Amino acid sequence: MSSVAMEQQQKIHPHKFTLWVAIGSLVMMFAGLTSAYIVKRNQANWQTFDLPVLFWYSTGVIVLSSVTIFLATRAFRERAMLKYRRLLAATLVLGVLFIALQALGFQQLWAKGITLQKNVSFSFLYVIVGLHAAHVLGGVIALLLLFAKAFSSKKRIYNLVPIELAGTYWHFVDVLWIYLLIFLMMIR
Amino acid sequence: MSVATLHHADVHGAHDTHHEHHHHETFITKYVFSQDHKMIAKQFLITGIIWAFIGGLFSVLFRLQLGYPESTFPWLEDIFGHWAAGGKLKPEFYYALVTMHGTILVFFVLTAGLSGTFANFLIPLQVGARDMASPMLNMLSYWFFFLASIIMFCSLFVQTGPASGGWTIYPPLSALGDASSGSKIGMDLWLVSMAMFIVSSLLGGLNYISTILNMRTKGMSMTRMPLTVWALFFTAVLGVLSFPVLLSGAILLLFDRNLGTSFYLSDIVVAGKILPNEGGSAILFQHLFWFLGHPEVYIILLPAMGMSSEIISVNSRKPIFGYMAMVGSMFAIAILAFLVWAHHMFVTGLNPFLGSVFVLLTLLIAVPSAIKVFNWLTTLWKGSIRFTPGMLFAIGFVSLFISGGLTGIFLGNSALDVHLHDTYFVVAHFHIVMGVASFFGMFAGVYHWFPKMFGRYLNNTMAYIHFWVTIVGAYLIFWPMHYEGLAGMPRRYFDYSNWESFKQFASLNQFISFVAMIVFAVQLLFVFNFFYSIFKGRKVTSLNPWGSNTLEWTTPLRPGHGNWPGEIPEVHRGPYDYGKDGNEFIPQTTPVGEHESHH
Amino acid sequence: MKAFLMVLLGVLIFVVIFQIAKASEYVSVLKGEEKTRRQNNRINAFLLMGLLIFGLIGVWYCNELYYGKTLFPQGSASVEGEKIDTMLYITIAITGVVFVITQILLFWFSYKYQESDNRKAFYYPHNNKLELLWTTVPAIFLTVLVVFGLKYWFKITADAPSNALVVEVTGHQFAWEFRYPGADGVLGKKNFKLTTSKNNLGVDFSDPASKDDIHLSNTMHIPVGVPIKMVIHSQDVIHDVGLPHFRLKMDAVPGIPTTQWFTPKYTTAEMKQRTGNPDFTYEIACDQLCGANHFAMRGVIIVETMEEYKKWLAEQKSEYATLFEKKEETKPVADSVAPKQTAQVLPAQK
Repeated sequence: MSSVAMEQQQKIHPHKFTLWVAIGSLVMMFAGLTSAYIVKRNQANWQTFDLPVLFWYSTGVIVLSSVTIFLATRAFRERAMLKYRRLLAATLVLGVLFIALQALGFQQLWAKGITLQKNVSFSFLYVIVGLHAAHVLGGVIALLLLFAKAFSSKKRIYNLVPIELAGTYWHFVDVLWIYLLIFLMMIR
Repeated sequence: MSVATLHHADVHGAHDTHHEHHHHETFITKYVFSQDHKMIAKQFLITGIIWAFIGGLFSVLFRLQLGYPESTFPWLEDIFGHWAAGGKLKPEFYYALVTMHGTILVFFVLTAGLSGTFANFLIPLQVGARDMASPMLNMLSYWFFFLASIIMFCSLFVQTGPASGGWTIYPPLSALGDASSGSKIGMDLWLVSMAMFIVSSLLGGLNYISTILNMRTKGMSMTRMPLTVWALFFTAVLGVLSFPVLLSGAILLLFDRNLGTSFYLSDIVVAGKILPNEGGSAILFQHLFWFLGHPEVYIILLPAMGMSSEIISVNSRKPIFGYMAMVGSMFAIAILAFLVWAHHMFVTGLNPFLGSVFVLLTLLIAVPSAIKVFNWLTTLWKGSIRFTPGMLFAIGFVSLFISGGLTGIFLGNSALDVHLHDTYFVVAHFHIVMGVASFFGMFAGVYHWFPKMFGRYLNNTMAYIHFWVTIVGAYLIFWPMHYEGLAGMPRRYFDYSNWESFKQFASLNQFISFVAMIVFAVQLLFVFNFFYSIFKGRKVTSLNPWGSNTLEWTTPLRPGHGNWPGEIPEVHRGPYDYGKDGNEFIPQTTPVGEHESHH
Repeated sequence: MKAFLMVLLGVLIFVVIFQIAKASEYVSVLKGEEKTRRQNNRINAFLLMGLLIFGLIGVWYCNELYYGKTLFPQGSASVEGEKIDTMLYITIAITGVVFVITQILLFWFSYKYQESDNRKAFYYPHNNKLELLWTTVPAIFLTVLVVFGLKYWFKITADAPSNALVVEVTGHQFAWEFRYPGADGVLGKKNFKLTTSKNNLGVDFSDPASKDDIHLSNTMHIPVGVPIKMVIHSQDVIHDVGLPHFRLKMDAVPGIPTTQWFTPKYTTAEMKQRTGNPDFTYEIACDQLCGANHFAMRGVIIVETMEEYKKWLAEQKSEYATLFEKKEETKPVADSVAPKQTAQVLPAQK
């Protein structure tokens, strides 16, 4: 058994690997949506739109949250638990702020007459950005669980894997947002 | 959630103390919310069998209408009420049955029931792992499937009927409640159920991939994996990459249905109402759907290929011919599966040049398929063949795969597809190659691994009756359908009697319906055999009843959670050393001898 | 009662099979399991051989029975469809040979190499030359098929000849509508927002080209020997204009017009003679599931000689005339139709 365990130790942790495959799967979903977007764009009846300024702020927020979660992971590794908790809390707050900014951005768009039903291009914008926000929300819930665990007095196991998983996922939604933002700016 | 799982898994990985957990297990954790891959496999299998029964029953009902369009059956009204007023199915209900038959068999039986069962059961056992990479996600995978099943089942009973736009749910038909009563609440339930199903497949697929790549025992290099594992691996990759695209297509459809968007809708006047939607494209959905839909065909077929390869090799007492070519051809099929989706759309007004590219790529699939067929044939050549029920079904699989695969060459060629598209030729083609053939692969797998699953054998006599009636029946049902298709007879018609061109097939339709009922009855015999044998079958007494090389047969007769009581065995050779150097078989755990010949 | 008896009979057969199955298990224990297994092996090998022989006879017999009912003995009713028939025969020949050879090998090997005491399995894990052989040979045959296929594909999907007669085909739940461009050879514009119960295609009658357009339901007339171009629309869900006799098929997609064209070879009267069926009709079958009455979405094409066609066409009234002359009749003062006035009568005009 020990030899088997040894060999398995050298490989990437199965859960991390699973997460990477899951990310591949999510990428396919957004690839499906964005390619549908490109196909539709080349057909008649497509209206262009300007993204709300708030999306820029939200981009800043999510990039910052990536930094905080990176630092949180490092703090955890160094067993600096207080720092870890603070950085985790900061990430959590930034995540919620991101979702709030996206919602406000939607509100601005709506007020400008860019409504969900008016044109296919607008519908796509809402669906793609909304679906991304839903994924961030999923990340926020994962962070909440981690956060609760960091304060529970029951278990004191220094298991790095959960925070690393959360970090990887968080960076993924961050990169995904940047991709989507560039995509929506370049291809309108 | 993930935190708890991780802790659990780490304990399992670090110590070898699973079997000590056993006395903690309650009925609930052992049989219901089990995290043991073997129990989850059985849950998938039994749920799949229940669905197969329902889906098969539906086909008998609509075949009744097709075979006997003039007759009435008063008992139908007793069961279905107003859907069968006067003892005759209503067209709406007929289409609901057709749609549900397709949905249930494609997704719930041949995807979840087939790869859910065998990926769960065989991957850890054959690669030498104690369980899946994440037993928790694995359990969730089943329960999402269960949830999807419940929702789909409920949709059968809603007032306006279940979805009735075909299993491909093409909008606008599926998007507009005014166009069809099945596109009302039934369609929403269909979509929600399918979303759950997709989550289930993804959770399963993630686990299968991680387990295969990360959890193999010592010495189990990729090229020493049984072909079953390779097939399940490619299946999982296809699922993980294609199901999300269907999900995105389904999300857009949900928006169109409920939130007034126009992704798929444009210029529509339905039921006297002019809809405001403009600028959508109904064809867009077909692209998104078939980007999943075509890989889905291989998600269904590859596990059957893998299991048949394994079973043919074991029972021919010969190595599978051209192991690397078999892996390579599956890889090629998996890649091509993503590049051929538009061959379902040759008559949608597709750009002819684009069409020609898809023709080329589609017909390319015939090359790896041919390699597989000839390799199976060469494996049988000069073997010492034992016709266990599993082996018979595997041979039947090859026969059906040849028959159904060859008609794919007709349909993949766009010029011919224009004539044959959406006729009974297509029905015959995909039922033989993906429906019946995959069922044969699944039956082969069930007969072969039943002893490992339940520690008992299925009854042989019933198994042989099951096989012989099924293969003869399947050919009798589907072979003549090619001729109906060549006559241009469209699929998905409720009644042909008003058509000058098609009514000449009335007696043939009757014959097909009659055979279909017999074949269905024989499947009931199998179901009976299955459940009877779980409790009363002949007990397995030898650890390795088929004389097989692979690792699952090195576990105890009834392996507990963790599979091996002691250390996981180390692997020293490939899985197909049958008949080598005069040995009947050499298990993978046997070290390579000094004087052993090399190949 | 009959159904109940059938079920009872089924259950009875089940019980009998089950008893036999159980008994055979005990017999096998008494006789020795190995002996029974070998006996079963021989029986099944024999049956597989039987399946092959009866299967091949069955394939031949099925062809005898049903070939005559397919469309091929009567030949394609369109010039373009002839190529598709040729293509089909080439494909049947190639796949047929492969089918027979591989099925024979499969069942013959199974029979011949059944387990036997006299022979051991031959260890034969791979042979690169053989594998290369059956990679390249199928590839060559497929190339042939692709080349033929694409040649015909590009022919049938090419633009219709310029002398083609244009007919607009519109599908809706659950019928077909046809529109002919009339004397000016141009179809009037349509806008789905103009659809009313009378103007059910949503024709824009402010477009002068629409004035002489002819609108028919369910039956269309076309002349023989002239290329016919169908411009295909749908009003609600996806339909499909399936023309089995002409070997053609094209989806009708709402919002996205499609086209197909063909040259009819035989008139309906000629086809009645060719098929020996006095009721023969060219039918348009909807080939895309479109709702509850999908199966009843039947259109009829009458192919006639040019003279007959011209005579028929001359008798047709334009849609504009039928719609608005009626209107005039209801008015107290019947006068000649004034286009400008009627244009204002139409609803939702912008």
